[in-house]
Amino acid sequence: MIELVSESRCINCDKCVKVCPTNVFDAVPDGAPRIARKADCQTCFLCEAYCPTDALFVAAEAHEHVAVNEAELEQKGLLGVYRNHLGWAKGSSPIERLDEYRTLADKVGSPI
Amino acid sequence: MSNIDDNGLELRTDVLVIGGGPAAAWAAIAASERGAHVVIVDKGYVGTSGAFAASTSGHKVLPSVAELRDPVKFERYTMGGFLAQHRWWDRLLDITYDRAPRIWQWGGYDIPVWDRSAKGSYRGLQGSETMRILRKVMIQKGVKILDQSPALELLIDNAGAVAGARGINRQTDVPWTVKAGGTVIAAGGVAWLSKALGCNTNTGDMHLAAAEIGAELSGMEFSGHYSPAPIHSSCTKGAFYRYATYTAEDGNELQGLSKNGHRSTSAVAKELLKGPVYCKLDKGTGKPEVRQMLRLMQPNFFAAFDKIGLDPFEQRWQITLRLEGTVRGTGGVRIANDECGTTVPGLYAAGDTATRELNCGAFTGGAGPNMTWAIGSGNIAGRAAADFARSLGKTVNERAVHRTGSAGLRPRSASSTFDPNAVVKGVQDEVFPYDKNIFRTEKGLLTSLAKLEQLWEEVKGNPLQDTPQQLVRSREAAALVITARWAYFAGLRRTETRGMHKRLDYPALDPAQRHYLRVGGLDKLWTRADPVPEAIVEKPRAAEPIADAAE
Repeated sequence: MIELVSESRCINCDKCVKVCPTNVFDAVPDGAPRIARKADCQTCFLCEAYCPTDALFVAAEAHEHVAVNEAELEQKGLLGVYRNHLGWAKGSSPIERLDEYRTLADKVGSPI
Repeated sequence: MSNIDDNGLELRTDVLVIGGGPAAAWAAIAASERGAHVVIVDKGYVGTSGAFAASTSGHKVLPSVAELRDPVKFERYTMGGFLAQHRWWDRLLDITYDRAPRIWQWGGYDIPVWDRSAKGSYRGLQGSETMRILRKVMIQKGVKILDQSPALELLIDNAGAVAGARGINRQTDVPWTVKAGGTVIAAGGVAWLSKALGCNTNTGDMHLAAAEIGAELSGMEFSGHYSPAPIHSSCTKGAFYRYATYTAEDGNELQGLSKNGHRSTSAVAKELLKGPVYCKLDKGTGKPEVRQMLRLMQPNFFAAFDKIGLDPFEQRWQITLRLEGTVRGTGGVRIANDECGTTVPGLYAAGDTATRELNCGAFTGGAGPNMTWAIGSGNIAGRAAADFARSLGKTVNERAVHRTGSAGLRPRSASSTFDPNAVVKGVQDEVFPYDKNIFRTEKGLLTSLAKLEQLWEEVKGNPLQDTPQQLVRSREAAALVITARWAYFAGLRRTETRGMHKRLDYPALDPAQRHYLRVGGLDKLWTRADPVPEAIVEKPRAAEPIADAAE
């Protein structure tokens, strides 16, 4: 579930409030959005994918709260990891990701 | 908090589309290209709602070449218990082949060509990227989008034809009314808030609303679809389990959990009822290139592991089975004609909201056939809704309209206020357990139906409506109850085992029951059998399965 809205990274664009399919966030005037309905989070990672500054962290645990530490997540490269995999991060593109996939697929074929 | 009968925002349009996934988007685009003014409303955000946006699998489009289509068609035909219709399959595949490549074009990609020599390299765009492109195209075409605006009820005119819908913006608390000529419901299937990947927007609200104005359901007995997920996560991505070794707590390998390259849900469920089951992706995945290729195919499968620091190729993890209901099952609103129309004039159904029996019969599962249905039915329904609106002439939105929402929205009895979360939990207690929903018996189904009937009595009482969230959840609770009742009532009436519907007391397929089961009713449920209007088609000799066509 959603566990972190980083105050230092957030630019208050409220994109996560807008795109969350289960309406987990509340916008806060002149501030970072608040996680208002965490239990409704369906752990789809789409808020992370849309966040332009990698300020969000959705833990993989879908049914229980887990404590997270921003500095540790940053150090492990886990902020923005999903956006990057989709090719939506800066300096990357879905086309590049697809080409990389195709090249490998042609080389190795089906694993079994 | 607004009252549900306040006026709020009022819009008039030719076509209203309810939903936020691929079927809804295609319906909106098709209606718009047919010259209609279109409004699309969604509970979440058009582009992230539903199972497809959250999934990262792509899909293939197959040209009209028998050697490419037959293996997929006939493998699925058999698994689906011969309830699919080849006439529909071919039509849907043709529409998909014609329309789907436009997504690449709209998104600025080179359009891939699948030819006889192509091997594994053709791959569709991922769900989130596809939906981003479709949203952009809808905006370019002038489709009006209302996000975060769940539809709560449908409107009808004096003759009983649908005339739009009403709902509320759950963030601004402003009710909305959209009067429309044709209405397409494409708001996903129902997965009973299981948190299966991307499925918690799929609560069956439109199934209930459609039934309230006289629509019927079909195939609701094919609603017990489960997928494996790491026990901590929501990630119900099943495709890579073909590379998995299954082990028990003691580390001994569990055999027989796959059949012909397909995972056997019931075999996995049987083991899970005995004790913990673990998986590791270690079949044919030794090479680093293979691992990287799999990561690129399904990034979200790996996100669930990367975030907990587990390497699924090297370490085993505990699995569970999560209910995906009709999202990967095939039941839904009954399609009554070739235009994806329902039995209500002006009301069309597409995607997972509609029954997918027409191309998938009694079983589906993964991406390809489901996307074919979403794209095909979305295009058919959108176009037909535009034509219906036009047929009503210029006075289309001057019709007197009536509000129709009842259970979970407006009290039908003087009984006490109900807690929607308690009702949801009550439904989940009947639909989640494997021994109730996968391994069905007359006794079990009757016991569950009795409990669900009590819950139905509750949701006819006073719904909590102090906040927009409560208002929406109360209506969802009613939808979850009625869809579960239809699923188990149809399951009770289908006294055989076919596709994903397994009856322990009727373990064999009964050729005499090669029919669709219509189900309907709100207080008193009913079923009716309709024969499949096509003889069983024999599989051509050349049609051997393609391994990676499944998911």
